Amino acid sequence: MISFAWLIPLFPLISFMVLILSGKKLKNASGYLAILLTGISFLLTIGVLLDLRTITEFEVIWPWLTVGEIEFQAGALINPLNGLMLFVVSFVSLLIHIYSLGYMGEDDRKSSYFAYLSLFTFAMLGLVMSPNLLQFYMFWELVGLGSFLLIGFYLYKESAKKAARKAFIMTRIGDAGLLIGLILLFWQTKTLSFLEIFQAIEQQKLAPGMITLIAILLFIGAVGKSGQFPLHTWLPDAMEGPTPVSALIHAATMVAAGVYLVAATYPLFLASEWALIIVSVIGAFTAIFAATIGLVQDDLKRVLAYSTVSQLGYMMLALGAGGYVAGVFHLTTHAFFKALLFLAAGSVIFALKNQHIKQIAGSGKHLAVTKWTFLIGTLAISGFPLLSGSFSKEAIFAALLEDGQYGLLAVALFTAFLTSVYMFRLYFLVFHGKGEDKPERTVPLCMNGPMVILAVFAVIAGFFGSQLADWLAGGQGSFAVLHHSPTWLIFLATLVSLGGIVLAYYIYLRKQINQEEWKETFSSTYTILYNKYFIDEFYENTILYSTRAISYLIFYIEKYVVETAMAFVSGTIKAIGTRGSRLQTGQVQTYGTVALLGLAAIVLFFVVKGGYM
Amino acid sequence: MSGEIIAFVLLSAASVIGALAMLYVSKVVHMLLSLVLTFFSLAGIYVLLSAEFVAVVQVLIYSGAISIMMIFGIMLTKHHDQEKHPQNIGRSLLAGGGVIVFFAAVYGAIRKVPFGEQATGLHEANTEQIGIKIFSYYVIPFEVVSVILLAALVGAVVLAKREGDDQS
Amino acid sequence: MSAVPAQGYLILALILFCIGLFGALTKRNTIIVLISIELMLNAVNLNLVAFSKYGIHPNITGQVFSLFSITIAAAEAAVGIAILLALYRNRRSVQINEMDTLKH
Repeated sequence: MISFAWLIPLFPLISFMVLILSGKKLKNASGYLAILLTGISFLLTIGVLLDLRTITEFEVIWPWLTVGEIEFQAGALINPLNGLMLFVVSFVSLLIHIYSLGYMGEDDRKSSYFAYLSLFTFAMLGLVMSPNLLQFYMFWELVGLGSFLLIGFYLYKESAKKAARKAFIMTRIGDAGLLIGLILLFWQTKTLSFLEIFQAIEQQKLAPGMITLIAILLFIGAVGKSGQFPLHTWLPDAMEGPTPVSALIHAATMVAAGVYLVAATYPLFLASEWALIIVSVIGAFTAIFAATIGLVQDDLKRVLAYSTVSQLGYMMLALGAGGYVAGVFHLTTHAFFKALLFLAAGSVIFALKNQHIKQIAGSGKHLAVTKWTFLIGTLAISGFPLLSGSFSKEAIFAALLEDGQYGLLAVALFTAFLTSVYMFRLYFLVFHGKGEDKPERTVPLCMNGPMVILAVFAVIAGFFGSQLADWLAGGQGSFAVLHHSPTWLIFLATLVSLGGIVLAYYIYLRKQINQEEWKETFSSTYTILYNKYFIDEFYENTILYSTRAISYLIFYIEKYVVETAMAFVSGTIKAIGTRGSRLQTGQVQTYGTVALLGLAAIVLFFVVKGGYM
Repeated sequence: MSGEIIAFVLLSAASVIGALAMLYVSKVVHMLLSLVLTFFSLAGIYVLLSAEFVAVVQVLIYSGAISIMMIFGIMLTKHHDQEKHPQNIGRSLLAGGGVIVFFAAVYGAIRKVPFGEQATGLHEANTEQIGIKIFSYYVIPFEVVSVILLAALVGAVVLAKREGDDQS
Repeated sequence: MSAVPAQGYLILALILFCIGLFGALTKRNTIIVLISIELMLNAVNLNLVAFSKYGIHPNITGQVFSLFSITIAAAEAAVGIAILLALYRNRRSVQINEMDTLKH
């Protein structure tokens, strides 16, 4: 089965091709076709996973193009990490495909929606099984394209178009870093294959400074894709896309790609102390930074978006602190519960046609399945004991403790506290309260089904932490260790999580703590948080204005200098042409006269010069 | 001053006068007639050059056939046309200048050309000599010329035919 | 017996050629332009015949070639008149300055 692994991404690709070419004719069948083909991919993935129990590493490569002595290859690399990612991506994608059947049921452009969804899935599947960085980069860009198409799917909405453009440009900044890193790596090692790069690092062929530089450049790519500070601003705006797309971007595809990049090139990061420190500091800062913003946002999806940014910060933090397994583990559990949360939020929006949490004001409680699955997701992300989130977060805390990063550990714990506060704020505001609005539509089974399945996974995924560590250790070697936390840390983490829940309970449900008073007391803080630390405005006032100034300068140079020169050239030629065209009278005698004059001139010349030049 | 020179002067004067008259008379038919004078005079000059056969052909073809054809051409078109001249002074000046420069250059060249002995046997059985030359040595060009004449004949008929004729 | 120098014939031919050239370039009536071209051809014939008598290798060939050239001139005149008639049918004019289809 594993030798057919390279077929996995092809099925979504076929789906994309068929739908984009003949989607209009297929109408409703387009959704079923996409689901069918993604389902085949998923089954194949399961088959590959079963084989992976015995085979730890499998690579199939074909020569692609030869430049001089260097041969570029294409193919598929299956190792435990890639297998896990394949599973997560294909599984979540399949569920989101099914969910979209209900959510996008009435949209006219359903077939192109499913086509883009398939393209996105194809790109991500191809990305996680690339055997070399060149193929990786191509699929990386394809992921960017898919996100652009899907975020801007409601193309009649100006904000959606802007958000799509923003996502594309912000990630492009990161991509530039990744590309430079790639080129440097190729320059240094003469190869782009993951395995050969790791060998080169083991043999210490690279200078330590160069490794740090390359690792940081690759990390810039990951920062762009995974929405880390300071390139995170596109992620909340990407909420303009359809909600299932948000679920896909946030759980399985786009943002996971950044974390996957760091995980897949982990030996490179391990070889550089500074790179690890930068990764963990950026991660920690992003985690707490996004969590504080999440506290005060009023848009259902935006709160979830900031929570994603924050959780991605966690993953980076874990990877930076040497917690390879913890980071990948959190990536997996997060994929389940974040997809769940987004799908549940999508149901709320689908049923109530409203996504402002203060306006919803508890109306969500009429949607029973949604309410319970959302609660499970919220508990999982808050780190409630025995749900998946608690295990993966503990693993991160343990990794930090092991690494001796006490400051970062404190930040992580505080972020965990904030996480449970804002997540339960969201839960209480949406699902508890007066609830005056009745749902306009009932949520169909094809939407509830995936939510329930994801809820099950969000509960149980946490129990497989140690198996995951063994599994990853099979392929990646020494650094795949799951750190076990001491009892006091487990206790502390639980306390923090429960504390956040209790606080949210008193503020938002019992209303015993008056939040409005706080708002007035800390009004400046509130304003800063509500406006997301003015990062967007900062970019607008600095980068945007300077760019605009430069472009105006160039515009005026073009308008007055270049165009004048152009006008001069064209005017001269036109004048010559006008005068010249008068000679073209069409009268043979004129032509004859001119020819005679020419002949006379030549003859005269020869007479004067005596026949010699 | 020999008779040859007198004949040459008279004939050449007549031909140049005829040519100039072609330029400066106003009626188209008169231009044509003045040019006939030139053709006749040239026939006389050919006789001076011991080319009796060419002289006869000149009279037959130029003074006869071509002139008659041109007269028919004039009659079939606007034969009362008056040439108003000069219509285009600028172009006439340019053409005149060019012609004068050309004339001066070639005149200078002719003055310098050395000439050898003059042939003496050309006038004896002139037609026979030409016939022998054409029908022995130049037989292929002769045939080619006949093909050209045939082509010109067909071409002239096709061109001059009225366009609607093939339908009727 | 003093003969006419060869240059005399050549200069006469040159004069006639130049007059023909000038006429061909300036006359408005197409028939006259055609006949001017005949005049130029005639001047050339005169040269051929003169060289046949006074050339470096005096020879009957010059006369033969003048005959060929007269033939060609006759053919040319015939075709020229035919074209002229066709044009005249189309445009009702023999003025050469109105024939400017080369312009388009």
